[in-house]
Amino acid sequence: MEPTRHTLIAAEGVTMRFGRAGFFGRGKLVHAVSDVSLSLARGETLGLVGESGSGKSTLGRLMLGLLAPSAGRVRFDGAALGAQLPPALRRRMQLVFQDPQASLDPRRRIGAQLADGLAIHRLAPKAEYAARIAALLEQVGLDPAHASRFPHEFSGGQRQRIAIARALSTAPDFIVADEPVSALDVSVQAQILALLATLRARLGVAMLFISHDLRVVRQLCDRVAVLYLGRVMEEGPARAVFAAPRHPYTRALLAASPRLGQSIGQPAPPPLAGEPPDPAAPPSGCVFRTRCPLAVDACAAAVPPLRDCGDGRRVACIRAGEGDDAAALP
Amino acid sequence: MRRLLMPGGMILLILAAALAAPVLPLPAPLAMDIMHRLAPPSVAHWLGTDEFGRDELSRLIWGARASLAVAGGSTAIAAAIGTSLGVIGGYLRGLPAFLAIRAMDVVLCFPPLLLAVLIVTLVGPGIVTLIVALSILFLPGFTRLAYAGVLQTRNLDYVEAQRVLGAGRARIMLRTILPNIAGPILVQASLTAAAAVVLEAGLSFLGLGVVPPTPSWGLMVRSAREVMGQAPLLLLWPCLALSLTILALNLLCDRLRDALDPQTAPRRRRRTMAAARPLAGAAATDGDATLLAVDGLTVEIATPRGPIRPVRDVSFSLGAGETLAIVGESGSGKSVTGLALLGLLPGAARVSHGAAVYAGTTDLLRCQEASLRALRGSHLAMVFQDPMSALNPVHRVGDQIAEAILAHARLDAKAVRARVVALLRRVGIPAPVARARAFPHEMSGGMRQRAMIAMAIAAGPRLLIADEPTTALDVTIEAQVLDLLAALQRSEGLGMIFITHSLPVVARIADRVAVMYAGEVLEQGPVAEIFARPLHPYTRALLDSMVPEGDGAEAGLPAGIAGNVPSLLDLPPGCSFAPRCALRRPACETLRLPLNEVAPGRFSRCPYGREIAAMAAPIPAARA
Repeated sequence: MEPTRHTLIAAEGVTMRFGRAGFFGRGKLVHAVSDVSLSLARGETLGLVGESGSGKSTLGRLMLGLLAPSAGRVRFDGAALGAQLPPALRRRMQLVFQDPQASLDPRRRIGAQLADGLAIHRLAPKAEYAARIAALLEQVGLDPAHASRFPHEFSGGQRQRIAIARALSTAPDFIVADEPVSALDVSVQAQILALLATLRARLGVAMLFISHDLRVVRQLCDRVAVLYLGRVMEEGPARAVFAAPRHPYTRALLAASPRLGQSIGQPAPPPLAGEPPDPAAPPSGCVFRTRCPLAVDACAAAVPPLRDCGDGRRVACIRAGEGDDAAALP
Repeated sequence: MRRLLMPGGMILLILAAALAAPVLPLPAPLAMDIMHRLAPPSVAHWLGTDEFGRDELSRLIWGARASLAVAGGSTAIAAAIGTSLGVIGGYLRGLPAFLAIRAMDVVLCFPPLLLAVLIVTLVGPGIVTLIVALSILFLPGFTRLAYAGVLQTRNLDYVEAQRVLGAGRARIMLRTILPNIAGPILVQASLTAAAAVVLEAGLSFLGLGVVPPTPSWGLMVRSAREVMGQAPLLLLWPCLALSLTILALNLLCDRLRDALDPQTAPRRRRRTMAAARPLAGAAATDGDATLLAVDGLTVEIATPRGPIRPVRDVSFSLGAGETLAIVGESGSGKSVTGLALLGLLPGAARVSHGAAVYAGTTDLLRCQEASLRALRGSHLAMVFQDPMSALNPVHRVGDQIAEAILAHARLDAKAVRARVVALLRRVGIPAPVARARAFPHEMSGGMRQRAMIAMAIAAGPRLLIADEPTTALDVTIEAQVLDLLAALQRSEGLGMIFITHSLPVVARIADRVAVMYAGEVLEQGPVAEIFARPLHPYTRALLDSMVPEGDGAEAGLPAGIAGNVPSLLDLPPGCSFAPRCALRRPACETLRLPLNEVAPGRFSRCPYGREIAAMAAPIPAARA
């Protein structure tokens, strides 16, 4: 995809390999992310969807410059990210973790933890810390008087609010939210999602929203990219992709995701058979072909390219668009 | 903290006496008085005099200075250097780690006493030499401990969060890692100090430590030994001082460990109730279709801040071949309910009230452990959330399933093997013969959960309790496992209690649902009816919290339920949901209502069900 004037961050052909060759070739080389190109404009939210082992979190850390890609590069605001990020860039990119219980230091008061970003990047004189921390807490809907408490004195949802406040403390332009609500209860999930939506609108921050929950991605994200075994299967505007998925994997994912309305009285659709293959020994050609209901011999021959469909959507399937999309439904 | 007072006070007292020695009205410790050598205790010399007529009490207090200087000095130096080496090595890895750890290994190669003797012979005896020698001796302990602590801590989310914020290595090591490994290091320090006191005494006794005439406890033991026959008491005083100091230090170390670790192990309690009271109204003679009838189940846990009841007055019944979902958020008591039914509550918890009649005859809550054990597996089975931790990692999956079979049946090895393979095939595991020989870590999450299910149904149970069995799985795999459970339940006629937090999963698998909140069932009834027309505001709010599935103008993000789940220590006096309820009336805050049958088959604790039902229909009904 050609970076436009508004592009804030772009992954260009990024590949991440873990592990090493080992003696006598016995070692395992895992392709966590393979040849992924994605970009985000300023203020845009991109949903990254996939099952465990699909490389979502690795891709998020690559785009934050926390990991250096084995091949390809990540550009932030025009500059390619090197192995060591300069502090000025580090300040502009932040991460919200899945489990706030684990991502907050249990032994330090939350006020001190919120002040870290200010101190590291010298964003305010020391005398202003208290006021800045109070403003941050207020921004995420917490009582500023709670700055002197420890993380264990808060509920799970409140802790995630604190973690979000910490990510916002450096006034970033880009936030990676790595499954920020999947450790939370349903009623609290909704609160945190609403908070993220409000903050995004108010602060104009771009967000990579990693999730396995398709409903949440549909409601929160402008665009969505579907990952399977480290490769992008399909990408495009969230509403359009979910309304009419073009890749058989996206369709299977949508069919499998549990729903309230559909299942009562109606039989659930047959789930996708089999399991994701071993990422150390992926199948040849299309990585999804071993579970794909539409697979033909040609699928094993070559890795299908992520084709541009011309309507802002991209899909990596040689059989997508064969006749009517709906007719090909599994 | 109060428990630290006694040992801490003793240490402070010993320290204060040693520090104040020059100002205390004591005779000079070196002043000899040969005329009164080996004098017994008197008013002038409270503890008597030694072989040169020196005051024993004065020498004991002055001697404490040497002992404590050596103990404190060597511990402080070893802790500071050792911890730094360990933290730097552990955080930076690579060459620094290699240097720090290998250097410590070299030190550890020497027998400790030999090393100390070597240093003292090389440098010559004296307090400073002793401190240096003991510091080197204690260094590896601190380095290893800090190194191990950092390895555990360095990849935790909150350390990575610091990296994301842009914190430098020094800042992370000092501000984030050090406070989090400080607990064990403090404990190690107090242990080391006690060891140093002993070593100082030993080395001085051998003539390798403090040089006479400077008083030290070790030297005092040494000189007292020579005149043991004439003045045996002289041996007692320094030994008493040594023992008391070490005891105080060890006690301090024990208490410190407790104070730094807030989790105190609860004592094991008997699971049976105090007295076998008659069944509290539970219909033991219920229709024969009823597999399980739970009536008024209440679980109590004793905590330091008073007893809490995470499950209160829970009643439901389950027919054979029926699936009841218990749905609730974390802390709602849904898992505790499941554990209580199987008699698997943790030690601190006990069933304080209620009955759970299985098959119309056996009250599970009053069963003896032995008869319950016989029921488990053959009649009752459980599937846990995380198959990785529920399966034993060092045994082959097939052997674990075989164990479940053999617990209730006498079969020869061949028949067991055939049964294991049949079970694995039954739960949809491909290549079952090969998979039976696999270890849990060689299987994927979905396969492990299938193996767990195979183990649960191995002895043909009639009641299956599944506690969040698909929560740890991916959506496509979750769908497979749910289908498997539903198929098994149909074919075997199992009664299933399915504990979950996910409403869509409830909709997919259950016939009836009990909605739990803060330990109580707030609403109960057929799934389709409850989801289409909830009669309790909490159920309604929970359904409204779901991110809608449809798209279009009306779709958007829901607001969730404001506020937090109440603490079990501080429950509201009335309806437990009242503080967060949008429909709250003044009466709700004082009145606690039982679970009433408000419509045929529909139970709710809220008296305003009609009004809730009259409100705009919730999302799923709109789609149905």
